[in-house]
Amino acid sequence: MAEVALDRESGGGPLRAMGGVIATPELATLRTAGSQAPGFGIRGWIRVLLADIRRDWQLYVLLAPMIIWFAVFLYTPMYGLQIAFKQYSLFRGIDGSPWVGFSNFVTLFNNEYFLRAIKNTLLISFYSLVFAFPMPVILALMFNEIQHNGFRKIAQTITYLPHFISVVIIAGLVINFLSPSSGIVNVLLAKMGFEKIYFLTIPDYFRPIFIGSNIWKEAGFESIIYLAAIAGINPALYESARIDGASRWQMMRYITIPSILPTVVIMLIIRIGNMIEVGFEYIVLLYQPATFETADVIATFIYRAGLQNNQYSIGAAAGLFNAVVAFILVYGANRLSRRVSQTSLW
Amino acid sequence: MSSVHVRDLKKSYGHAPVLHGISLDIEDGEFVILVGPSGCGKSTLLRMIAGLEGVTAGEIRIGSRVVNNVPPKERDIAMVFQNYALYPHMTVAENMAFSLVLKRASKAEITQKVQQAAAILGLETMLDRHPKELSGGQRQRVAMGRAIVRDPKVFLFDEPLSNLDAKLRVQMRSEIKALHQRLKTTTIYVTHDQIEAMTMADRIVVMRGGVMEQMGTPLDLYDQPANLFVASFIGSPAMNQIPGSIGAKGFVADTGHVLPLPTSAVAQIGRSAVYGIRPEHMTLEPSGMPVRVKTVEPTGSETLLLTELSGPQTSIDITAVFRGRVAAAPGDTIHLQPDMAMVHLFDKETGHRIMA
Ligand SMILES: Nc1ncnc2c1ncn2[C@@H]1O[C@H](COP(=O)(O)OP(=O)(O)OP(=O)(O)O)[C@@H](O)[C@H]1O
Ligand SMILES: [Mg+2]
Repeated sequence: MAEVALDRESGGGPLRAMGGVIATPELATLRTAGSQAPGFGIRGWIRVLLADIRRDWQLYVLLAPMIIWFAVFLYTPMYGLQIAFKQYSLFRGIDGSPWVGFSNFVTLFNNEYFLRAIKNTLLISFYSLVFAFPMPVILALMFNEIQHNGFRKIAQTITYLPHFISVVIIAGLVINFLSPSSGIVNVLLAKMGFEKIYFLTIPDYFRPIFIGSNIWKEAGFESIIYLAAIAGINPALYESARIDGASRWQMMRYITIPSILPTVVIMLIIRIGNMIEVGFEYIVLLYQPATFETADVIATFIYRAGLQNNQYSIGAAAGLFNAVVAFILVYGANRLSRRVSQTSLW
Repeated sequence: MSSVHVRDLKKSYGHAPVLHGISLDIEDGEFVILVGPSGCGKSTLLRMIAGLEGVTAGEIRIGSRVVNNVPPKERDIAMVFQNYALYPHMTVAENMAFSLVLKRASKAEITQKVQQAAAILGLETMLDRHPKELSGGQRQRVAMGRAIVRDPKVFLFDEPLSNLDAKLRVQMRSEIKALHQRLKTTTIYVTHDQIEAMTMADRIVVMRGGVMEQMGTPLDLYDQPANLFVASFIGSPAMNQIPGSIGAKGFVADTGHVLPLPTSAVAQIGRSAVYGIRPEHMTLEPSGMPVRVKTVEPTGSETLLLTELSGPQTSIDITAVFRGRVAAAPGDTIHLQPDMAMVHLFDKETGHRIMA
């Protein structure tokens, strides 16, 4: 797969530059080659694009549904973004509402709850990055060391399963588990002579509960991508290492981990790019006013401002701010990773 | 350095036997090549010696030590793989140093050994590069460098040159040979290229279907092939095989032609046999067998003639090679005279050599 892509790289068309989201060690090569389109300026670019479409029209047909999806569901709604700069009123419509410049943003940044939401978002993301991100990698490495095929399959399946459970049900499970009256955790606490704790009302417990249950839900499934990367490692490397005298631990350290590192970096970039988006539905399902202090994030703030309190312009301004920050984060992470590991998304 | 002894070695994958009892004795410092067609078990044998595959039955000794259950790293061997198996994320120097790092050798020792190997292989200027920045031949050299730094008792090579183009292959062939002459490390080398085998080996092991057909020096195999398989496998172009029987006046081919035989064969009159004559052991003489030329392939220094010997019932393809040029065109009839001293006779049923 990667070889084919490499070959075609020399054509240097626009589609080339978009390819290679697949995380392989060859990725670095993909990126550098893609940027050398012949021709100058926008006209040259269009000429190359047309020539490219003519040559590889099948690939563009495959790409079309995605482009249409983007256009209809992501770009068209962007038209409404302008209400972030307007005093939007439902009756006048988007076009009829008066412009107000940045005043919505000023309001927003004077709102201590919005600032708290930013802080909470970043903290939850940061702790997720620290605690949740490494889990699937570790899990994949552990699966890889299991010698018994049957046992490995069972273990993998068990860890994948929670991913397929609806987040609503997960939230229900968590709430039940932690329930002060009948939840198993509190029953055990009571048995051991401790006092019962009403976990979901205590702000300090919100982040651990949120991140911990997310790990439980997603780590197994996310490990698939790392297992795929591990499966792509040339087995002769391990044989060679065995002859060179490496123990299993050393093989993991010197071969497996460096080989999947590009994949890990790509996933990290994606993750950092999404720092500012935390699982909105799951938070809404788990939080309550008592825990807003640690649980209210930008997305839930927007939801309450825009949809519950009908402050559409404030909601849109918050959303736009969110998007801009997210863009900067992705861009920055990509630059950084290119410098650090010669691996990047584009 | 060390000798290697393989005794009645058998290997099965599940119920499928792959090696049927191989015995070899490889002397200290010898360069032994395993050849044979694809799937005959060469790699399996080599990997068993390396310890990458378990032993089903039999015994492997390196020096005086039985290594059947010794893990690869304790066998003191180094292996060069067909696709090199260089660690892609390590530089050339790191690749070569890896086994020493694992052994916790001192920094000074590592640097010294890597430098030394790099000097032998002409890699001094490439130590900081990654494998993907090297050409095929350079990667090949790094793979050998990785083996050299370990200073092992035995080198194992599994088709190390098959990914290289023809010219580079010839060059690396002589480099490996020179390296062996310099280091004198016992070497076992797998290839399915018989020219590689002939030019590099001290001794060749010809294998087929998990069985060892013959072991001997290249010239032994060329001069005295033990059976039809070895006869056709060693030598290029392959030996001509003419079925027929031994008669009073010579060998009577199935086409009816009578071919010259050494007198010693006359004792076997009446026996069905295959007459083997190499393309390079025939001359153009009016008394020879009449053959019709099908194709002429001049290479410059030699001329290869593909011809046909026709009889009433069957016809047999015969290849002949001559030094220099031959004035023959497709369709011509020429007369080929086998050199009597170079004739081989094989039993028709078993394919075994008939001592003549
Ligand atoms: N892991 C395995 N499981 C089952 N059968 C195997 C395995 N490895 C090899 N074989 C079988 O063993 C036989 C010998 O394989 P081997 O790789 O030793 O051949 P080879 O002589 O090296 O051939 P080649 O020249 O193509 O490399 C083949 O028939 C192959 O199908
Ligand atoms: Mg092989």
